[in-house]
Amino acid sequence: MVIRQSPYGSSLARAAVDLSLAMGAFEQHFDLLFMGAGVLQLLPDQDSAGIGLKSIGKVLSSLPLYDVERVYVDADALLRHGINADQLVLPVQALDTLALQELLNSADQLVSC
Amino acid sequence: MILHTLHAMSPSASFQDCLRTAQPEDTIVLLGDGVYNALAGSHAADLLAANPVRVVALDSDAAAAGLQGKLGDTPVVSMDDFVALSEHYPRHLAWY
Repeated sequence: MVIRQSPYGSSLARAAVDLSLAMGAFEQHFDLLFMGAGVLQLLPDQDSAGIGLKSIGKVLSSLPLYDVERVYVDADALLRHGINADQLVLPVQALDTLALQELLNSADQLVSC
Repeated sequence: MILHTLHAMSPSASFQDCLRTAQPEDTIVLLGDGVYNALAGSHAADLLAANPVRVVALDSDAAAAGLQGKLGDTPVVSMDDFVALSEHYPRHLAWY
């Protein structure tokens, strides 16, 4: 599953998170890949109470409880947004372009949002 | 082997990331606003041409944008062709 949207700019981020939780609850095996502005969903300290929305960061941090353990991020996107891979809400593995291509081509199905 | 549908105009992270992850055996279909990327002489068209990946544009969206005859070397495909492409590729990635 490829996640590419910022957390609160649209409802797409939340929809992707819900899909991940549902797939996790039904024991589907899948990898999560955060690319582009999607890496912004992984920033810690998201306090979205003021905008009346649930914190995407908090929900994402619960993913290991749903057996979603393979979480990857685009190293280029981290660099572009000035984010450190070890300061995110989840333990992630950063991938370079070649590794990204390999991961995408190894999937049976791809969903991007 | 991935069929990429590119809805986003250049410059954008979507455009950049689509080109960066696409490999020579893939195809990129330009859809919606994505068709403007093929406008001959544009910076985006140059970037697409410099890439080894096959790029096509959906004819109905290109026509809607008024780009008939302005797409340079980028071939247009019909909706039927697009469906055939989607059958050919085992994976699909949407970039918007």
